[in-house]
Amino acid sequence: MLLLQLLINGLVTGSALGIIAISFSLAYSTTRIFHVAHAGIYTLAGYVAYALEKSGAPDIVGLLAAMAICAVAGALIQSELYARLAQRRASHLAVLIASLGLLAVIQNFLASVFTPNILPFGSAWRGRTLSFGGVTLTEVQIATLVICLAVFPCSLWFTRRTVLGKQIRAVASNPFLAEITALRPQRTFVIVMAIASAMVAIPGALVAFDFGVQPYDGTTVLLTATIAVIAGGIGSLTGAFLMAMLISVLQNLSLLVISGEWSVGVTFLIFLVFMLFRPRGLFTRR
Amino acid sequence: MDYLFSYLILASIFVILGLSTNLLVGVVGIFSVSQAAIFGVGAYTVGYALSNDIMGFVPALALAAVVCLVLNVLITLPSLRVSGDYFVVTSFGIQLLATAAFTNWDAITGGASGMAGIPTADLFGLPIDTSLKTLILTACVACLACFAFRLVMRSPFGRLLMALREDELAVAAAGRQVLRAKVEAAALAGVFAGVAGGLYAVYLSFIDPSTFDLDASVLLLTMVVLGGARTLAGSIVGPFVVVALPQLLSLIDLPTAIAASARQGIYGVLLVAFMLFRPQGLMGRKI
Repeated sequence: MLLLQLLINGLVTGSALGIIAISFSLAYSTTRIFHVAHAGIYTLAGYVAYALEKSGAPDIVGLLAAMAICAVAGALIQSELYARLAQRRASHLAVLIASLGLLAVIQNFLASVFTPNILPFGSAWRGRTLSFGGVTLTEVQIATLVICLAVFPCSLWFTRRTVLGKQIRAVASNPFLAEITALRPQRTFVIVMAIASAMVAIPGALVAFDFGVQPYDGTTVLLTATIAVIAGGIGSLTGAFLMAMLISVLQNLSLLVISGEWSVGVTFLIFLVFMLFRPRGLFTRR
Repeated sequence: MDYLFSYLILASIFVILGLSTNLLVGVVGIFSVSQAAIFGVGAYTVGYALSNDIMGFVPALALAAVVCLVLNVLITLPSLRVSGDYFVVTSFGIQLLATAAFTNWDAITGGASGMAGIPTADLFGLPIDTSLKTLILTACVACLACFAFRLVMRSPFGRLLMALREDELAVAAAGRQVLRAKVEAAALAGVFAGVAGGLYAVYLSFIDPSTFDLDASVLLLTMVVLGGARTLAGSIVGPFVVVALPQLLSLIDLPTAIAASARQGIYGVLLVAFMLFRPQGLMGRKI
């Protein structure tokens, strides 16, 4: 039964991780910026939800507010930082360092305001559990699974069927051509970053409802998500989502064999295996 | 006086580390947030060898240098195989993995509570037991490292590394061995970090995982960015300024609970601001 419980837990965290992975993939494949500060946005979402809960708002308001605030933050990061760096012809390395610096700023700002400790939520539904077939899940976990599994097809539909989604893919596949056909890549980048940031706020808030908020957790989470993106094949949202599920399940099952402190090691091992045998990822088409 | 000594000792240790990071990030242009992990391996190697009386200080330092050389080459190898952005993931992963190892491998590292009571260094029977003697030792090693860095940068090998950053394809087309040059640069950076780690362990006689975590790697990156990439002057100025920063901050009356976060946040602000407004740092070249 423990096996089944760990499997289900893996699927729950995997669905949340999957949304983080596809939001990162969306931003990365469009702007070509390895947006490390995305981990900061993820963390910010949790704290927005936390602050609202403390002031008495229901959790659903916290979730929606987190999405809105993160969307604004993401748009500002693109228009005020990345766009300016691009204007100054900063090297790829310089953009990466700036992104890392921004991550440090966000995390430590939150740590200064809210203390670096784990702050749990007080909402009643954290504790309410449902059991079926020997598996116990909290209501928060069920909400996480349902919402994240719903967001995934929506994001596929958005990038494939809507005009805006098609514009984004056009800019992603050829920024220069997009520019001369008046698609204005820089404007598209701002929109993409806003959407990706709003998306990452969903797992950001949901995971926080379950485990509480902590300022420095986001780095490991984003690392795991980027591994899913790479192993799934850059540019493939389905690949990223499925790999995130797989990694999370493997991480949870590995608890049967080794202790939890080494879960970074497990993730990283998966990454190295992929780098050695299939560096293009599982789901890329030639 | 002790206070000044401790500042100078730490700054010279960080000069050696700054050179190591500068070689990888500034010169070759590999993004690295795992240099603190290598630094830590050097520190723990020397700490373990001295605490358990396995060997003297000089052989231990040499061992640390060799271990870090091999490790840094192994870490950098993926960057030769995969493109730049994949290496970002590798680098983060190695750093987090190293922190996990330092914290959980209790038998060797002492776990989260760290390794205490590391004996002081000795040079062929001459004990390095006062601050002044430690300062002379670290300053000499730092000067040696600076000299080595300068020689490397002026040699044909240094120019090859510069060219590598500008245009890897052109270097390969000119018949130079890209892979070999990168491995050699990583090896040198590893030696620097290992030696710095060893000096750090014997100077403080206490090491714990928090000194070698991701924050420490960000700190190292801040030193290189602030001083400036690719110049010796930058690699010296950066550490001296950044090591002084916490002391300056302690003049402002911050509550102790948030002092650490505030300090780390300021490093972040420095990284962003320098990348935006002065990518060449105080006295270096454009990163």
